[in-house]
Amino acid sequence: MATTSNSNINSINEEQESSSTSQDSPSQRRIFKVIVLGDSNVGKTCLTIRFCGGEFPQKPEATIGVDFRDKDMTIEGESIKQLQLWDTAGQERFRKSMVQHYYRNVHAVIFVYDVTKLSSFENLPTWVDECDRHSLSSNIPRVLVGNKCDITERKVVSTNMGQKFAEHNDMPFFETSAKSGEVGESVNNIFLYVAKKLKSQKPTINMRAGFGGIAGSGRTSVRRLKLKSTGIQGFEPEKSKSKCSGSTCFS
Amino acid sequence: MSKNTDLRHRRKVSQDPTKASKSDNDKVNKGFESYKRDKLVAIYQALRSDPVDVAALRKFAISKGGLLTDEIRRKAWPKLLNVNMFDTLPKGVNIKEHRDYDQVVLDVNRSLKRFPPGMKDEQREVLQDQLVEVIVRVLCENKQLHYYQGYHDICVTFLLVVGKESSVMLVNKLSTHHLRDFMDSTMDRTKHMLNYLLPIIHKSNPTLYDFLQKSEVGTVFALAWLITWYGHVLNNFRSIVRLYDFFLACHPLMPVYLAAAIVLYREEEVLNCECDMPFVHSLLSKIPQNLPLEKLIVDAGDLFVQYQPSQLAKEARLYYKQSSSLTTFQQLEESSQSQRPDSILQKLTGRNASANEVPLSQQSNRMVKVAVWALSMGIGAAALTVLNTAMEFWT
Ligand SMILES: Nc1nc2c(ncn2[C@@H]2O[C@H](COP(=O)(O)OP(=O)(O)OP(=O)(O)O)[C@@H](O)[C@H]2O)c(=O)[nH]1
Ligand SMILES: [Mg+2]
Repeated sequence: MATTSNSNINSINEEQESSSTSQDSPSQRRIFKVIVLGDSNVGKTCLTIRFCGGEFPQKPEATIGVDFRDKDMTIEGESIKQLQLWDTAGQERFRKSMVQHYYRNVHAVIFVYDVTKLSSFENLPTWVDECDRHSLSSNIPRVLVGNKCDITERKVVSTNMGQKFAEHNDMPFFETSAKSGEVGESVNNIFLYVAKKLKSQKPTINMRAGFGGIAGSGRTSVRRLKLKSTGIQGFEPEKSKSKCSGSTCFS
Repeated sequence: MSKNTDLRHRRKVSQDPTKASKSDNDKVNKGFESYKRDKLVAIYQALRSDPVDVAALRKFAISKGGLLTDEIRRKAWPKLLNVNMFDTLPKGVNIKEHRDYDQVVLDVNRSLKRFPPGMKDEQREVLQDQLVEVIVRVLCENKQLHYYQGYHDICVTFLLVVGKESSVMLVNKLSTHHLRDFMDSTMDRTKHMLNYLLPIIHKSNPTLYDFLQKSEVGTVFALAWLITWYGHVLNNFRSIVRLYDFFLACHPLMPVYLAAAIVLYREEEVLNCECDMPFVHSLLSKIPQNLPLEKLIVDAGDLFVQYQPSQLAKEARLYYKQSSSLTTFQQLEESSQSQRPDSILQKLTGRNASANEVPLSQQSNRMVKVAVWALSMGIGAAALTVLNTAMEFWT
């Protein structure tokens, strides 16, 4: 059972790794570092706040520099102690000189655009390039998220456009709304997808780099996990030509 | 010097060490009231003297309670920045054409937290429109300046204290001085400014410094503190304006010294934290809302006097020489010593006010230096005494 502190997710298949125990000692806990990128005002902060159990902010604020949020979670019986989210500022000046530091040792990337703002979609290649330039290895999971799909009347980036871009860049695609749970994929499921993807990846030493200080231990042994097919895998880009933005992705 | 000594003397008297008793609180309160009364009188006196006693104003802006009321701030802030409030910037500019207009609007729309909670929506919306205007008019006036997210947090503070037109004037000056380095096309110089933070902590507490270094936390946790003068991270508006008094009277690096004081103050929490970047970043970037600000202001001043920027410049990669905030500050310091009081400025309006300025050479150089605590080199100790007197009184 995949649980979060809110534990309102019940659509993720339970997949107990035979060799793993569900009780992790602190030195075994895994930390996944996820960076959230995209133009200013696309809703990165709202999305990360929503995922971390908060309400949609009534008084949102521009992000200055980089904000850190985390959430403890358990997936498939394994306690991923933390999904660490780095919520970055969208303004270009921050991206250029401040955010770089946070690309280091990142395990996954979430690109966000605003479905009601064409320029935020058109700027995606810049963000993707930026990511590549910071030598994030290409096998790092990346996802594309079109946000604010509750505003149907002003939607200018069609689902099809989003999907094409995602396919082209080999990433799964979701449409969502940080504001309303009624439309698109739920925010929780998107982040859970990422977490699950990370967990299922063959861990490498590289994944631990930068987290050497944890629990005072040296290099931690990370269990190897055999990947079995799950509901989520049906939504890899190549298999998801049709409807990965529906709310049934994870069922 | 006379009125300053005067004030200190009076404080000493009311401070007369009557032994601690049950009614201590009462006494502290009474003490506060009479301190405030004395300070108000002294501040008005400094504002009225000709030339305006900017050195004394600086001292009052720094010491306990700062400039005390918004009414005083409206009069004193312009003097601290050497701005003639009877001047104006052009009004009819087309702000919508500015390259940063859209971003400014996005950020101002997301600034609801900065307005008093009880304020009516319509009233707040008017102020938000004014905020956009203030920001973009200043940007239009200074083509070389680039808007940054967080600048709006500074401007809103001025707007709420001094109103729209005065804000334009003050922010205009501030942007070409204290905030100048934040407003380049890149944030390189801002980054350099933050480079002072760890060396200060190093000198003051090597253990804490080692911990921070080992965690690789960097300095981005303090970025919003620095570039918004804490306006983005403190919820209490009174605390914010109090800090603005302090920063307006001080060296542009003072927000970094305050950041160091805050980190040092939280030593225990930090050392108990997991020594890893995300945890330390997370802990430090969440600024406690109940910080003892007055104490931390004294601490920051203390750090400044002990470890002056020029002394740290080597460690901060010689940022000092490249900074226009730092170099123009010195000019601002010097020029602000010859301001006329408002009563005279008003009469001079329409004429060339600067022609009537008292030449710098006629100023009492010593007096200037003593109160320009922030710039202090050899006079640190004297300046500290001033502060400590105020502190003693409160503790
Ligand atoms: N209708 C609607 N509005 C949203 C949604 N998500 C965010 N918003 C609004 O969009 C604005 C921007 O949201 P933020 O989360 O602050 O955007 P950001 O990407 O973090 O922006 P920066 O910090 O400037 O990079 C805010 O006013 C939010 O209220 C959404 O799903 N639907
Ligand atoms: Mg944000």
